[in-house]
Amino acid sequence: MAETYGVGIGWRPEIAGFVEGLPGLRFAEVVAESVHAHGELPTGLQVLLDRGVTVIPHGVRLSLGGAEPVEEARVEHLAAVAERLNAPLVSEHIAFVRAGGIEAGHLLPLPRTREAVDAVVANVRRVQAAVPVPIALEPIAALFDWPDDELTEAQFLTEILDRSGAQLLLDVANVYANARNRGTDPADLLDHLPLDRVAYVHVAGGAEHQGLYHDTHTDAVPQPVLDLVTALCERHRPPALMLERDGDYPPAAALAGELDAIARASGYPAVT
Amino acid sequence: MNDTWGISGPTFLTYFIGAMIAIAIIAAVHRKALFRGNRSSRVDNLGPQQVAYLNGGDRLAIYSSMGGLRAAGALGTGPGRTLVRTGPLPAGVTPLDSAIYNAAGNGVRTRDLHSDQWVASAVEQLRDTLERNGLAVSAGKMREARLWVLGGVALVVIGIARTLAGLGNNRPVGFIILATIAAFILTLTMLRTRRWATDAAHKGMRELRSQHTYLSPANSPAYATYGATGAAMGVALFGGAALYSMDPAFAAEAEVQRIAATGGSVGSSGGGDSGSSSCSSGSSCSSGSSCGGGGGCGG
Repeated sequence: MAETYGVGIGWRPEIAGFVEGLPGLRFAEVVAESVHAHGELPTGLQVLLDRGVTVIPHGVRLSLGGAEPVEEARVEHLAAVAERLNAPLVSEHIAFVRAGGIEAGHLLPLPRTREAVDAVVANVRRVQAAVPVPIALEPIAALFDWPDDELTEAQFLTEILDRSGAQLLLDVANVYANARNRGTDPADLLDHLPLDRVAYVHVAGGAEHQGLYHDTHTDAVPQPVLDLVTALCERHRPPALMLERDGDYPPAAALAGELDAIARASGYPAVT
Repeated sequence: MNDTWGISGPTFLTYFIGAMIAIAIIAAVHRKALFRGNRSSRVDNLGPQQVAYLNGGDRLAIYSSMGGLRAAGALGTGPGRTLVRTGPLPAGVTPLDSAIYNAAGNGVRTRDLHSDQWVASAVEQLRDTLERNGLAVSAGKMREARLWVLGGVALVVIGIARTLAGLGNNRPVGFIILATIAAFILTLTMLRTRRWATDAAHKGMRELRSQHTYLSPANSPAYATYGATGAAMGVALFGGAALYSMDPAFAAEAEVQRIAATGGSVGSSGGGDSGSSSCSSGSSCSSGSSCGGGGGCGG
């Protein structure tokens, strides 16, 4: 995204009224699979578009990391939704959600191997051929590493981005979760990622459970994640950052407080 | 063979059907005049309970207040499907809220709330204000509108009498039976029509509903985010189904009736069962959410 959008939020039907009421909002993200490509748009979403808010479709079911080619129908749907929303960008995950015909119902991490890079790049190219706007790829949070990793996370991502020409959708909560669960320094990864390729950033909440940090999207954004936002913006401020909340929605004031905290951490103006 | 009552079948049928159409038209015109209301009155500055009254009468006003109190953590259910207090009465509540909160202190059941003295007087107060402003149809006007039911009843009685007389006279009665059934349906329709909002209020209500689509149970709205007022407004506009969407256990325990919003039939899609049942499939967590649940879902 060439333009600067500041702080946004993931649009969900459950909080549509809240999102609609954000006076300074300039961008939002919607789960691509929840939008009908040709039917009527959910009212709240239409209101945002009418107001000139940029809405980015965020795919969750493409399974770019699968060994098999991405399903054509799913790619077509993503393309149609992007057109429908007049989006400057689409995004998906570097993950697989199905294999051998079995749906995991979950974003699963890839082994960081050259073979996996090949598979992802091939699938990203298929999507790029069908979707008229650029795609941003989001690395996921993983609770474990595969034993046969050949590349570091930064190498793995950079390789995929370099070869596919895709942009990066960086989830700072994932960066934090991975580093914390591996006992590494989250800022270290930031130093090794091509930050100029970041299209936008996810900021989400999580919680610790039995010694592991879970990227739940249903808890408040913890301070260390906000600190990481600041650390990221000090290195290279991305054009847009957004709060990703998927459930257990708090009172409006608390949600607005989270958006304000992201604005403060990134130095962008508050949208509330 | 003599005509029954000295009137031929076709002539009688013509008069009978003519009278039926006349009653239907005059009743409709009369209603239109009675239910017109005050066009200069607005609904957009009304509170949720007032909107609820216009949408579904006393019962929905009570449900709306219960929704607000529940969202504020003040109301719960106890043994024997009674209402209980679960927290302090929030600040800035309406007289109806106070009355229901008070009733909950006495362990009243939802279905008995309307006969609680305080609750009844709070609802009456609410109704009076709305009627004075030309937004609610008063009981008097409703009675006046229903006077035409008498005309319908008279037709049905005449129709039955004619049928019996015709049978006694060995005349064909097929058409008069059909006409009598039609008169019966007309009468029943006039009798059963119950509305609370005047035509003036109706238009505004439609707008309110479309402005608040996000509160429709079909969106499984996050009532925690929208707060007590949002919860009360959700129930007011989308009926008891909204209470089920917000807090199914409470709504079921409190024996809330799902189909409560009837007043503004146009566009009240979430009013019935469909609204609340769709929340299992419509929720972004089951299908659309990028959060896979469980552990490190990423995304």
